[in-house]
Amino acid sequence: MDPIEFFGNHTFRMVFFGTTVIGLVAGALGSFAYLRKQSLISDVIGHSALPGALLAFLIAVVVFDVNGRNMLGLIIGAVVTGTLAALFANSISARTKIRIDTAMAISLTMFFGFGMILLRVISNGLFPGKGGINDYLFGNASVITIADLNTSIAVGALALVLMLVFWKEFALRTFDPVLSTLLGFRARAIDTVMFTTIVIAIVIGVKAVGVVLMIAFVVTPPAAARQWTTTLPAMVALSAAFGAVGSGVGAYLSILLGNVPSGPVIVLTLFAIFLFSLLASPRRSVITTALRRARAREALRRDLLSEMTDT
Amino acid sequence: MSFLVGTSLLAVVTALACALPGAFVVLRRNSMLVEGIAHAVLPGIVVGYALTFDLNSPWLIVGAALAGLLVVLCNEWLIRTRLLTGDAPQGLVFPALFAAGVIMISLDFNHVHLHTEVVLIGDLNLAAFQQLIVNGVSLGPKYLYVMLVVLFVNVAFIAIFYPKLKIATFDEQFAAVLGLRTKLLYTSFMFLVSMTVVTAFHAAGAILVISLIVAPAATAHLISRRLSVMLVLTALFAVAGALAGFWIAYALDAATSATMALFYGFMFVAVASIDALATRARRRRHARTRRPEAPILPTPRDPQRTAEAQTDI
Repeated sequence: MDPIEFFGNHTFRMVFFGTTVIGLVAGALGSFAYLRKQSLISDVIGHSALPGALLAFLIAVVVFDVNGRNMLGLIIGAVVTGTLAALFANSISARTKIRIDTAMAISLTMFFGFGMILLRVISNGLFPGKGGINDYLFGNASVITIADLNTSIAVGALALVLMLVFWKEFALRTFDPVLSTLLGFRARAIDTVMFTTIVIAIVIGVKAVGVVLMIAFVVTPPAAARQWTTTLPAMVALSAAFGAVGSGVGAYLSILLGNVPSGPVIVLTLFAIFLFSLLASPRRSVITTALRRARAREALRRDLLSEMTDT
Repeated sequence: MSFLVGTSLLAVVTALACALPGAFVVLRRNSMLVEGIAHAVLPGIVVGYALTFDLNSPWLIVGAALAGLLVVLCNEWLIRTRLLTGDAPQGLVFPALFAAGVIMISLDFNHVHLHTEVVLIGDLNLAAFQQLIVNGVSLGPKYLYVMLVVLFVNVAFIAIFYPKLKIATFDEQFAAVLGLRTKLLYTSFMFLVSMTVVTAFHAAGAILVISLIVAPAATAHLISRRLSVMLVLTALFAVAGALAGFWIAYALDAATSATMALFYGFMFVAVASIDALATRARRRRHARTRRPEAPILPTPRDPQRTAEAQTDI
């Protein structure tokens, strides 16, 4: 399929731009989750977005009698439950002797289980527009409308603007939390803003990518970008680029293959980018490390040999 | 055996089979790795199903368990490269494997008619549908016996390697000094966990499986100080949660697996709250009886955990 034909089709265009925006925002903000060593919390937030998105659907349909798939409602609902789940996990690990990994697993299963119960309620009930509600699990990029795309761009831009405005605070809090507190920045306030931007980055993908696979959009691009860069601005920019390009290419491939959901294809594309970076990045990678080690070993051998011949 | 009794028995046996190894998973801080395994076995199940057309085939179970083990091994390898930070290694491999599984299903790989939702949610009642009938007498669901075998294998492994597992879990370096092959032990244990996940999948679905492995053990961990006590309590919580969760779901006509998962979560929260209240009451009583000039010792804290709590976002 040539590009003109591809971009001439409305659905294809929506799929392409919709997923690219998600990849860009998630890639940029995922960098902070990665550098703060909190990548897995994005899995908790992703899964926990399900009950929020479904509650938003129920409230919109039952109370306001409007379209339940409204993107803004979905984002608000998902942000609320995603944040609650992450706070719940953190409070378990802070108050009990249960560690954060177990706390995350408990929080994730509770929220996702609640989402599954709601999903059953909705598919058994008589709600207008409930068809395809299961798409929230694995996403369906082909149902993205212009309004959805505009909402994602607006909300994603808001998160990116917040990141740029608080850039200095984010960077300091990420790399030297003690200094940041000593300088008088309120740790809790910065964490709240940073965390909110990350949650936004995750939930804007619910409709197109689904709650289960969103973790890959947040974790994979930063892990790949880290292998090529040594400064924060470069890493965030490259991670965003990886996210956007990987999503665009993945979406294109999924349409080319036909009858394949775009979310999983994008995840595999992102994984390929990550694998290449990890194995072959010129600065830090598996191959570079192995070469450096071999060279050092060779140098040591030569030194030892020359010493032996000297004496 | 009536259908309801058979199904609740299946729930109890599945819960026990998952929860007992779960105690070590929780203590070894591998809970989120199990979440990864539960997703990563999907391509293994799809390929295995396409080759055998039998969800209970031992080949399928072993194959899918190997896919789950891949997450564990890749995680170790990624950590060893020292090119990645934090918990990222655990989150990189399983989404790719899961995505591959979803793509295979959607491509109707070798005419596999699996539904991704069914795999995620699982259905206890559906798993219990095939009854084992001998001489016209129903002996409960067939799958009950599959899970009984898994339970037996898990109990046998834990019983045989109990001292080794205990040392390796609490002090891995000491275990290595003693000459234990901790890596082999760990890998075989995780393979067993992965196999349990695969078999329990059919009855419980991914989410309930994670809940079954993590929640009873975590609940028991809250109120026990000895491993043996913790294992007994884990089994008790697993059985109680399975029965209560199953009957609540039945009474409310709600999704069985999801309701059970939620119930295990609430059980954890309830025990955690009661424990916190009891601790507070004990402290208050202590403070009253203690003479005022007695020095108040600071509670010892694990420095690593304190640091962890501070970097939470």
